[in-house]
Amino acid sequence: MIRLRGLSKRYAGGAVALDGIDLEVGAGEFVTLIGPSGAGKSTLLRCINGLILPTAGEITVDGQSVTGASPDVLRRVRAKVGFVFQHFNLLKRLSVLDNVRVGTLSRLGSWSSMIARFPDAETERARRALRRVGLSGLEHRRADTLSGGQQQRVGIARALVQEPRVLLADEPMSSLDPALSRSLMELLRHINLEDGLTVITSLHVLNLAVGYGGRIIGLRAGRVVHDGPPAAMTDSVARMIFGEGGS
Amino acid sequence: MTSAGRWAGGLAIVAAFVWSSWSTDVSLRRLVEGAPFMLDFVRRMLPPDPNVLGQALHGALQTVQIALVGTTVAAVLAVPLALAAARNTAPRWLYYVTRSALNAFRAIDTLVYALFFVAAVGLGPFPGVLAVIVYTATVLAKLFSEAIEAMDPGPVEAVQAVGATRIQVLRWGVLPQLGPEFVSFTLYRFETNIRAAAVLGFVGGGGIGFYIQTYLRLLNYPAASTVLLVLVVMVMVVDFTSSRLRARLI
Repeated sequence: MIRLRGLSKRYAGGAVALDGIDLEVGAGEFVTLIGPSGAGKSTLLRCINGLILPTAGEITVDGQSVTGASPDVLRRVRAKVGFVFQHFNLLKRLSVLDNVRVGTLSRLGSWSSMIARFPDAETERARRALRRVGLSGLEHRRADTLSGGQQQRVGIARALVQEPRVLLADEPMSSLDPALSRSLMELLRHINLEDGLTVITSLHVLNLAVGYGGRIIGLRAGRVVHDGPPAAMTDSVARMIFGEGGS
Repeated sequence: MTSAGRWAGGLAIVAAFVWSSWSTDVSLRRLVEGAPFMLDFVRRMLPPDPNVLGQALHGALQTVQIALVGTTVAAVLAVPLALAAARNTAPRWLYYVTRSALNAFRAIDTLVYALFFVAAVGLGPFPGVLAVIVYTATVLAKLFSEAIEAMDPGPVEAVQAVGATRIQVLRWGVLPQLGPEFVSFTLYRFETNIRAAAVLGFVGGGGIGFYIQTYLRLLNYPAASTVLLVLVVMVMVVDFTSSRLRARLI
């Protein structure tokens, strides 16, 4: 589903975020990407949907090359890839429903999206997505009146209405408390198993990664230093990823 | 700052104040001597003359219209100017050129622009409208550009990430953030422009100011007080309505 070949990213200041990543993620996999902050997790996820251009290497999503894709092709790839952000990135003044309907824009004509006329079927899809993440009844609330956990669920619903093949989540729990984090992690795992959606979630702590199955990839200084099932996540592996004294 | 520096600074302010008071002939004695004349002035303004109410209302309406047309056109002009004056949307050279030009033009007040446009296009409300446009466009461009710079890039990125086109990103990532702020700034400037437009008539720029000046010159104080009362009511009504609208926007 996702294939990375020799992926490198060097930022304008000279900092190396990714240093020759080779990675293959199959359809329906549940991948947790762990590593200390600055390991390159965000950059890696943003390269996959073309929000960041890599310096070198190649990325294909569902057989379609992302690197060097035309804006049109890139939009089609993004439509198939849902993205959940660390800071939710909702439009604060818009309603919950409108925020979710933003996820349908790639299927909507220019004129209809200008005057905010969404087809009934899309609105119904948005309501279903909200029901699924447990936010029924909040459709008409302003997004910034919701709690952090609720806002992140809106972010997940926005990704779900895209009806994507892949769901990328960039430290979706880091602004939430532990109990909320676990329930969101369960939601992501649930979506992965029910829809067969490929899910990649990055986390900056280890304890959330184990206990949900799937595959854990450890990133350190822009390189893949570990790749295996949760059972293979021993203390010595954790130390290798996070450094001495890390968790 | 050292304590010596603070003393020198304080002394400089006191010196500047004393010197300026002396230069501007500030005199408590003259204020006291003038008090009876002021009371007389107020007494002669009462009661207001109801016969000029029609004229006053006509002038007030024209003032509101000057502010309305001027502010609206200025707001439209301010959008491209703001894009050229915001660090995150304009190339560096354009940013500096636009910022400097806006600062220069904003140093001149609406009333001075009115003098210029009266000379250029003749008397009446039209030069008033032009004056309001020029000054307000520079003020709104600055306010808009600051809002553009403070915009949250996160939601914009999120709308890009769903596979939206450029125009959809503008409509759903940028407009919901900037739209209400731009409208709110424009309403606020409309309130201030009512006051600015009220004195445009002093220099031939139309509106209620023409009647205030005319009746004061003719020493017709009861008529002048009617016009002033209408001005006060007009400003209060506009301020109230506009601030209610703004509170609902943000």
